[in-house]
Amino acid sequence: MTKDEFRRTKDSSTAFHAWAALSFGLRHSAFFILLCPFFLHADPPRLPLPQEDRTNGKHTLAAVERLKPLTIACAARIESPLGRAICTATIVGEDGYVLIKASEVPELQKTRIKFSDGRTADLREVHRETRLDLLLAQAVGITGLRAVSFGGAHSLGLGQWLCSVADAGKETRIGIVSAKFRRIPGEGAAMGIRMDAKASKDGKGVRIVGIASESPAEAAGLQEDDVLITIAGEKVAALDRVYDIVKKRQPGEIIDIHYLRKDKEASCRVRLASRSKVLNNWEGEDFANGGISLRNDNFPEVLQHDIPLLPADMGGPLATLEGKVVGINIARVDRVTTFALPVEAFWTEAQLWIKADRHPPKAVLAQ
Amino acid sequence: MFSLCTLMARRAATVFVASGFIATTALAAGGADKNPAPKTDISELLKIQSDVQKLLPRVRQALVAIQSGDGTASGVIISADGLMLTAAHVPNGPGKDMKVLLEDGTVTTAKSLGLDKTTDAALARLKDRGKPWPFVNLSREVAKAQPGEWCFALGHPGGFDKARGPVLRVGRIIKQTANSLHSDCVLMGGDSGGPLFNFNGEVIGIHSQIWEGRDQNVHVSMAPFLRSWEAMQKSQVIKTWGTGAGGYLGVATVMSDSIELEVADVIDASPALKAGIRAGDVILSVNGEAMTDQQQFSATVRARAAGDTLKLRLRTRDKERDVSVQLAQKPQEEGQ
Repeated sequence: MTKDEFRRTKDSSTAFHAWAALSFGLRHSAFFILLCPFFLHADPPRLPLPQEDRTNGKHTLAAVERLKPLTIACAARIESPLGRAICTATIVGEDGYVLIKASEVPELQKTRIKFSDGRTADLREVHRETRLDLLLAQAVGITGLRAVSFGGAHSLGLGQWLCSVADAGKETRIGIVSAKFRRIPGEGAAMGIRMDAKASKDGKGVRIVGIASESPAEAAGLQEDDVLITIAGEKVAALDRVYDIVKKRQPGEIIDIHYLRKDKEASCRVRLASRSKVLNNWEGEDFANGGISLRNDNFPEVLQHDIPLLPADMGGPLATLEGKVVGINIARVDRVTTFALPVEAFWTEAQLWIKADRHPPKAVLAQ
Repeated sequence: MFSLCTLMARRAATVFVASGFIATTALAAGGADKNPAPKTDISELLKIQSDVQKLLPRVRQALVAIQSGDGTASGVIISADGLMLTAAHVPNGPGKDMKVLLEDGTVTTAKSLGLDKTTDAALARLKDRGKPWPFVNLSREVAKAQPGEWCFALGHPGGFDKARGPVLRVGRIIKQTANSLHSDCVLMGGDSGGPLFNFNGEVIGIHSQIWEGRDQNVHVSMAPFLRSWEAMQKSQVIKTWGTGAGGYLGVATVMSDSIELEVADVIDASPALKAGIRAGDVILSVNGEAMTDQQQFSATVRARAAGDTLKLRLRTRDKERDVSVQLAQKPQEEGQ
């Protein structure tokens, strides 16, 4: 738990009294039934349910233990050269083909893949499909993998149990189909800055007047009062222009920025996020407990479920309790929402990418 | 610059804090289980799935989205004539008009009736529409919603979204307190006022507050609703903690130097005073159950309703004695 501040808006007085009552009770070891009602309020008639008996506790997860060969064994971990987990991959070909959430790996050459049997390999980018936010890659020199077995997702109704690979491909978690299948429209990309509407005095750039917490801009090190000069190689003099340049790009894309800080020129690289991610999380609310995906919208179709996952779990397989993989997790959206691409949305297409890569058109000899 | 206000307000209006949560974590830590529950079997999960899927088409019709002022929330209809439960912080007062949307496309208005601000329970009534409203029943067996029971939640997290529809969550009850249930059905802003169901399709909780952790989702239990039903129907606001979940004894306790449970004070005109309990008495047991700390004692008293009789074993100046006390309703000093 990174922040243990109260999540509250209106009821500050209540929270204050609760604390007051608590500290009073501790200091004097006195316990006045009528005077400290909030302390009483919290008294459980019975002990809380132990962690292991909760929905994603180990006793409950025992029910899906036998699915691990069909889920975890068919997933792999994408990591940085230093071993930091970036995201998860779903194995779709025994000869090393994997599907990954494309916006998580803008620079595939800087990553490697680690399989559940311990093998690691470099990745070769085969096909990047921004529309689906999927990347087909091949683990170089790897064979004998276990590929997922896909089953249809469209027949699944609300309340259908599902399980997913979690914790960088080591664990499983369960949840249910929680809302209707649907298209998620895109709202474009953002970096999380507020800009001065007036052009800077000398007309040289656009001044930043606010930075969203945990936003792409913050991650890149931009600060209030920095003056943007060029974005993706283009000079900017007004904030409209900054919008236009950023908005038409995709979340996950990296753009180069030159800026002035205290009259000194500097540069940085910003990895853009979905506009909705930035706006909904402006103050760093982190309603997802562990963060949300950079790209969480603009999908042709999603299956929504309530499995508690992290952004690094995206790209992993989503399976039924029969072990049929019905989708690939594609976006952690908020505290209650994870999106998966249902099999029907990508698999026919992805098979063509694999086929084309396995059997490239032969070069025709010139006469 | 960005149109942030509506989004922020929408969330802000419905995210609350579990004011008593810290107080209980210490207790929870000591609760390593004597009887570990058996491991879950896949057939148990499949049974839950089929039960939820059987109940869902009916109960989802009674779920509503509420748009009031600057926020969005949820609610659930509990009678054919349009009585509706929601969280008190949604209308935040009696007599407030709220725009209500049903999944079938019906748009109407509800007026808030009474509410209990201390437990976050509220009642409202939908405008008559000339035909019966879809509704669900509420569970009157509050004590049955025990930790470990499976349950499911419906609501409109983030607000009404026609393409998405209501959002379902399935989980387990984690904790039961006098006025609330905690579950691992994960909630967020917009869910406030939505229903938590048992597997009879009855409402056992109304979504109220969240804490940072995923398992920290708090629902108002049916206890404050059932207790204050008449007052709420009369549009009254219950501001004090009121009668509590159970009976009222009227003693304040303190842990003595010898770590015994000692009566520190007895309230005027309380059942305890009438039964002859005095400050300085040591409480040894209640109905044969040995009392070792204050939390245990208060929970034991609260677990019983007004009218129940408690047998207390006391020690007064080195002499042990038994006292019978009939619990009363706690007087409501404040409010209306």
